[in-house]
Amino acid sequence: MTTLLDVTRRAAELALRKGAGETAAGAYRSRQVEVAWRDGRIEKVTEATTRGLGLDLYVDGRYASVSTSDLRPEALERFVEDAVALARTLAPDPHRRLPDPELYRGRPDADLDLEDPSYPALDAGTRRREAEAIEAAARATPGAAAIVSVSTSVSDTRSESALFQTNGFEGTRSGTDFWLGAEVVVKDPDGRRPEEYAAAGARHRAALESPEAVGRRAAERALARIGSRKGESAVLPMLVENRASGRLLGSLFGPLAASAIQQKRSYLEGKIGQQVGSALLDVADDPLLPRGFGSRLYDGEGIAAKRFPVFERGVLRTYYVDTYYGRKLGLAPTTARSSNLSWALGARPLDALRADLADGVLVTGFLGGNSNGTTGDFSVGLRGFRIRGGRLAEPVGEMNVSGNHLELWRRLAAVGNDPYPYSAMRTPSLLFDGVQLAGL
Amino acid sequence: MIERDAGEDRGGERTAARPGGYFARFGVTEELIRRTLAAALSRGGDHADVFFQHRVAADLGLEDGEVNRAWASAELGVGVRVVKGDQTGYGYTEDLSLSALVECARTAATIAEGPSREAPLRFHVRGDLPGRYPLARPWDEVRPEEKLPLLAGLNARAFSADPRVRKVNVHLHDESGAILVADSSGRIAEDRQPMTLLSLSVLAEQGGRREQNGYNVAGRAGFEFYAPDRLDRIVREAVARTAVLFEAGPPPAGEMPVVLAAGSSGILLHEAIGHGMEADFNRKGVSIYADRIGKRIAAPFVNIVDDAANPGARGAINVDDEGNSAGTTRLVEDGVLATYLHDSISARHYGVAPTGNGRRESYRHPPLPRMRSTYMLPGPHRKEEIIASVRRGIYCVNFSNGQVNIGAGDFTFYVKNGWLIEDGKLTRPVKDVNIIGNGPKALEQVDMVSDDLAIDEGGWTCGKDGQSVPVSQGLPTVRVASMTVGGRGS
Repeated sequence: MTTLLDVTRRAAELALRKGAGETAAGAYRSRQVEVAWRDGRIEKVTEATTRGLGLDLYVDGRYASVSTSDLRPEALERFVEDAVALARTLAPDPHRRLPDPELYRGRPDADLDLEDPSYPALDAGTRRREAEAIEAAARATPGAAAIVSVSTSVSDTRSESALFQTNGFEGTRSGTDFWLGAEVVVKDPDGRRPEEYAAAGARHRAALESPEAVGRRAAERALARIGSRKGESAVLPMLVENRASGRLLGSLFGPLAASAIQQKRSYLEGKIGQQVGSALLDVADDPLLPRGFGSRLYDGEGIAAKRFPVFERGVLRTYYVDTYYGRKLGLAPTTARSSNLSWALGARPLDALRADLADGVLVTGFLGGNSNGTTGDFSVGLRGFRIRGGRLAEPVGEMNVSGNHLELWRRLAAVGNDPYPYSAMRTPSLLFDGVQLAGL
Repeated sequence: MIERDAGEDRGGERTAARPGGYFARFGVTEELIRRTLAAALSRGGDHADVFFQHRVAADLGLEDGEVNRAWASAELGVGVRVVKGDQTGYGYTEDLSLSALVECARTAATIAEGPSREAPLRFHVRGDLPGRYPLARPWDEVRPEEKLPLLAGLNARAFSADPRVRKVNVHLHDESGAILVADSSGRIAEDRQPMTLLSLSVLAEQGGRREQNGYNVAGRAGFEFYAPDRLDRIVREAVARTAVLFEAGPPPAGEMPVVLAAGSSGILLHEAIGHGMEADFNRKGVSIYADRIGKRIAAPFVNIVDDAANPGARGAINVDDEGNSAGTTRLVEDGVLATYLHDSISARHYGVAPTGNGRRESYRHPPLPRMRSTYMLPGPHRKEEIIASVRRGIYCVNFSNGQVNIGAGDFTFYVKNGWLIEDGKLTRPVKDVNIIGNGPKALEQVDMVSDDLAIDEGGWTCGKDGQSVPVSQGLPTVRVASMTVGGRGS
């Protein structure tokens, strides 16, 4: 049986034969299964094994990148030939070459425990039973008479990939992930049908939250939306639940990319060593977390993975620098994309942070909106609850929060002890002082 | 391989591969399709289909004055679907061999639990499809050397247009390829599907401040799409939209009248009503529009359509991804909600003809009700009177994205460029503001519609349930009496 690494080695040989001076070849194979369930019946079953191949071609100082899922040998040969010819029509780029092999050294020897050996034993009957159990729990929630519809899903993926670079890198990895999801729609007496969801995921199936917990949580969230109103425009403390806070953090991390810095499209240019947020903004890039969704021993360029601080007590320490934009900027590469993020956590959970607020808004989800990476301005829709006297008051929606990131993160007033476990960003609940909310 | 209306009934005899038809080159024969469908129907089911796709794309990028990066991609795969009632079984693969297809089909077949059904003995290829992508210069005949001056020219012109410009990025994308969908009724539909998209992005600097903006265009067209007037417009708009940002600030926060400029503000329709009218959400009872067919939801001069037939538009299709005809579907007629956007499952559920909205991102996904080109017809007012009617509000010109919760009805769209309206006049420019409202409420509050319908030429992409499809949108100048503007201060 051909391994993926064999596939990449052969693809690299093909590229060199066709005229590339050096090349990086990556291949993946992935099996995905999903059972979707709705209101007492199966809605959809999907299963597939999918695969692909990609090549970065360096041809006479020129660069082209190709990807294909058409792996028939004659087609692949023609495809690579055409890609090399395409590269030759481009302008040379002295910054484009494979990474310095020094960067491959020191690849950690850790076992990241990303693959669940029990994966092959997972059967259709189990998935179906769990999908059904998620719904049953949702419909057993107090207030469930208002439920219009419950959709659930049970899914799992096993994926593997290989990377081969002609200047001395070889790597393979594989991993599994398992997900449970529920979406519950309820009837508001005014005719609206607010929806809410809950999800849980894990690298190992035994670590998954129970179907009952997921179903119950989705139903509770949906029922809590009934009666939601647009609140008044105001400047208020904004407490963002961990499941939603990653959205804000993403707009802080995007402009850390060296490509954005070099193209002058980052409001964080020139800010290394400067205070960007309050002292509570303390986040590291953490690739070696066992079972992490973003965990890796090497990145997409083969660079050996290592943990590094991004923000330390509010001070910006490191950009995300790939080798190409690193050369353009004259900066040492770190890594192109974040892996997992680890915060210096607070001591208290969301409920305790809320109890401290005389007046404020709890955000449970953002909707649409955008953030300008060049200026730091942002404006996003939200839904959640008003907080009054430390308690959750009326549900609010159809509201917006706007500001500028260079100002927002200085107003970070509290950090929860609750990193969101179902994403690589793992952001805890965050409290911001005095943000502009728009409503009535 | 599939000939149109072969005419010969060979009964049970194995049909040899025939010349013609896009997928013959991949070894796709009638026999292969028949055996795949037989496996798909091995446990019965109401319907089965096999969806082949081949897509070849090329991208060129200009950065820091040079076209020094290119991407090429090829996708080839097949998805097999079995439908029983409103339940779906689905499998897909990149391996077009019979054994892989049969395995895929058997996976999909697990949704059904009855006795097997026969696969069709004969197939007929639809010969009645329109030609909505008129092409003069097909992409597979355009050499890279021809494309390079296009990017270089835009770069030079953008820099000369304004001394504050510091960075210019140009990206040209083109794709060609085909789909073929064969179903258990014996019908085969094939469509060759070109697409191109060009974006110009500009960064300018003034007095230590930076602003960035851009303009993009897309269409189902060939190289001829980049005619001089379009290129002029791309440069002019990208630079002007960037330059004005230096004078722009946030608008005030809170509720106010919102006037939407003709064109890409069709995003209002896409989010406020388009998704909510996709029939799957309605048959599941989860859309805020679920019980509103036949009800008045807007003023009588509001007419909203979802259209497959705008020639060359990004959202145009000759046939949907289930093989169904796709035309002009009137969502709202004279202010009354008229029809949902159907795929086959929903059409069967409601007992109506499919509307040709069954679309999918690729062979890796089953089809769902999706939009195509969504716009409002011209109305009785004039743009000048609409703006003059607003004492204090916002005029929205240029958008980046939007989103909706279809059950609650909350929807948003993000305004990159706009103007404050004060006492009926455009006063100062505004930027980077999200506007949020409730779908049915917003439509009720469309109280003025101008006669200047424009369908936007931009490269819009719609995401739903983890899959994206290209779409178009349009609007005349329209006034919505009140929405929440996510500005700052009051």
